[in-house]
Amino acid sequence: MSEIDIQEFVGGFIAEADQLVAAATAGLLELEMANDRGEARPKTVRDLFRALHTIKGLSGMMGIQPIVDIAHAFETVVRAADQRGGRIAPRAVELGLIAMRAVAERVRAVADRQPIAAPPEALLDELARVETLGETTSAPTPAIISSWDRKLSAGERQQIATALGERRSVYTLTFTPSDANSARGITIATVRADVGKLGEIVKVAPRAVPQTDDAPAGLVFELLVISDATTSALAEAVASTPDRVVPLAALEPPELATLPVDDEISPIGRSYVRVELDRLDDLQEQLSGLVVSRFRFEREVANLAATGADVRALREITDAQERQLRALRRGILRARMVRVAEVLEPLSLLVRSLVKPGIKEVRLALDVGDTELDKAVGDRLLPAIVHLVRNAIDHAIEPIVERERIGKPRAGQIVIKCRQGAGNRLVLSVADDGRGIDREQIARRSGRQTVDDSDLLDVLTTPGFSTRDHATETSGRGLGMDIVRRIAVRDLGGELKISTTPGAGTTFELEVPLTIAIIDVFSFECSKQAFVVPVAAIEEIFELSEHRRIEGPVADPGRLPISICERRGRTVPIIPLGMMLRLGETAGAHKALVVRRGGEPLAFAVDRMLGRHEVVVRPIEDILARVPGVAGATDLGDGRPTLLLDLVELGASITTWRAGYSS
Amino acid sequence: MTLHVAFRVGSGEYAVDARDVLHLETFTQATHVPGAPEFVAGLVQVRGKLVPVVDLRTRFGVTAGQRTLDNRVIVVKVGARVAGLLVDSARDIVQLDESTFEPPPELVGDQSAGFIKAVASSAQRLLLIVDVPRVIGEEVRHA
Repeated sequence: MSEIDIQEFVGGFIAEADQLVAAATAGLLELEMANDRGEARPKTVRDLFRALHTIKGLSGMMGIQPIVDIAHAFETVVRAADQRGGRIAPRAVELGLIAMRAVAERVRAVADRQPIAAPPEALLDELARVETLGETTSAPTPAIISSWDRKLSAGERQQIATALGERRSVYTLTFTPSDANSARGITIATVRADVGKLGEIVKVAPRAVPQTDDAPAGLVFELLVISDATTSALAEAVASTPDRVVPLAALEPPELATLPVDDEISPIGRSYVRVELDRLDDLQEQLSGLVVSRFRFEREVANLAATGADVRALREITDAQERQLRALRRGILRARMVRVAEVLEPLSLLVRSLVKPGIKEVRLALDVGDTELDKAVGDRLLPAIVHLVRNAIDHAIEPIVERERIGKPRAGQIVIKCRQGAGNRLVLSVADDGRGIDREQIARRSGRQTVDDSDLLDVLTTPGFSTRDHATETSGRGLGMDIVRRIAVRDLGGELKISTTPGAGTTFELEVPLTIAIIDVFSFECSKQAFVVPVAAIEEIFELSEHRRIEGPVADPGRLPISICERRGRTVPIIPLGMMLRLGETAGAHKALVVRRGGEPLAFAVDRMLGRHEVVVRPIEDILARVPGVAGATDLGDGRPTLLLDLVELGASITTWRAGYSS
Repeated sequence: MTLHVAFRVGSGEYAVDARDVLHLETFTQATHVPGAPEFVAGLVQVRGKLVPVVDLRTRFGVTAGQRTLDNRVIVVKVGARVAGLLVDSARDIVQLDESTFEPPPELVGDQSAGFIKAVASSAQRLLLIVDVPRVIGEEVRHA
């Protein structure tokens, strides 16, 4: 999200928060009425919980701590109510309404760019108390006391179940030690003895409570009792009043009680752990170490074989290792996968913040199904998609007036689709039904006629190119497109395509690997230096000597000489890679690596192929070594970095290449 | 008094503040990066990270010398950046009193494009204090 200005989310946040506060308030009013009729509303409580949880999450994302604190405090109360089968004390409902007003006030402050007041201490205090007293403040009607569930053994659970099955009564009694009680000689020991005479004590558990005049020790004892005695007799035994004797109707099923409810409501039937991405990265780093050491091992085996030793047994082991590593890698990758829908979630918020109701309206449709991709790829990809969506809203989609005049639906539409492409790649498209890109305008601006879509894309993604004279509110100076290309192509090793129809809209298609951590590469040598290229980027490799080559003419000696050969009925330009990279003398190029650039084949002549590997690619972070055409580096097992080339990107600079200059 | 790492490039003796130095590495070979500035000897892998190495001989305009076993890479950290300085040798850690630092003679400062930020004398020898951010190319702006 680094590329996104947080201010741009503010509008969306306010709209979303307002809606959630309204929903929560409506829910609270409904609960108030239900309380009056003595009914429970589990679904309303759960919806309320979700609304609060979302308010908390959004505010956390925006860094608005006061709202987070208020929402969190009330969420805790509502969670407890949820665990009690949807019963919520009347006072808690009142506090909830106060809390929602406090949240609404702070959302307003965000909208007005005013300082955001700290949460009201008194409110937080009471919310904290109402939570712990939840069970005792609720009316003494049959309630599910889930606080017991976690404390009960299977045997105790069975004991309760049997008693309830026999229609005997089960109660929770609370004994509060105090000076007054001990002066009367009442202690937990005497209470145990007295209650024991009235029924079966299943369990006694101490519980910490806030210190009050009633509970000076900050401690109470809860007794779970099966008894046929009257509630007043039981109350007397614990020096309490009958309204403090809480009947237990049923135990919650154990699997519900043991579900983690700390951070979100997990779908029942599947269990999840939340893992920091760092830990998975670490695991992957370990795996990459293993991959490297297997390379080394394999090389030693090859050396051994070269001396004439019998290495069949060793080969069997390395083969098995390769399979195991593959399986391990797959497992780790699976653990890193997130749903595309989840990655793109912030977009709906973004769109809402960018449209101008009544002037320009936009509907965002996500048609991404259940596709998944690596979390790390998703995090990098999102800023590119944000740029595309923002550009579409800002430049492509016409205002309502114009759309109605030309007979288009009032609201513009942006459709994001994705599918899994070939070779572990994800194809994601962002299509709008706006005005399309005006080639004439682009040509005037760039001073270059564009003949096809890929040509057009080259112009659009030139750093600094803009179709607008003035910066606009949302898209800045239209600098986004080179960033989109950089993310898709350079950062993720993918591809970016465009197709546009004047008057009908524009579609951008991004093809990115599902994961960037480990990739399949070919290694080759060029002027004595080893390089790697992604296998996925290479269309084919052919032997140069098998083809007749024609040297193409060069306009001046400073330009890169390009030869041509015929391959499968097409003419293919051949770029001398060593010369292009200024690597010095070459022993003679024997192989050609074919890539596809904008649909056209392009071959690079290299000295010889070395092999094929699965490698971990590390990004080159420092500006001193970040150069066009080099996408990263890897370790082939010799402890030295080997550069990963982006031949498609190199292909883009052929026409500007001049001898003697270094970029 | 601050610790400095003293090193040699050609006939000159230089020093960098030890607080900027992560570690010293022996040097065998760096991976040439086509298109990188000429003074970049290449990339090395240091503890799993890719680190660009600046050849101080090229950077300081000293004729390229033979690589020897004495060659060292001084791995420095400037802000978020980590880079290596390839030097002929680096043997000493010296205590220098920063209050005795002299600004370099104007002519030297100009001619070295600000690579030298001060001159220090220690045990009868002159040490040129290197401006590390300048040397690792804060002016380099591509990509």
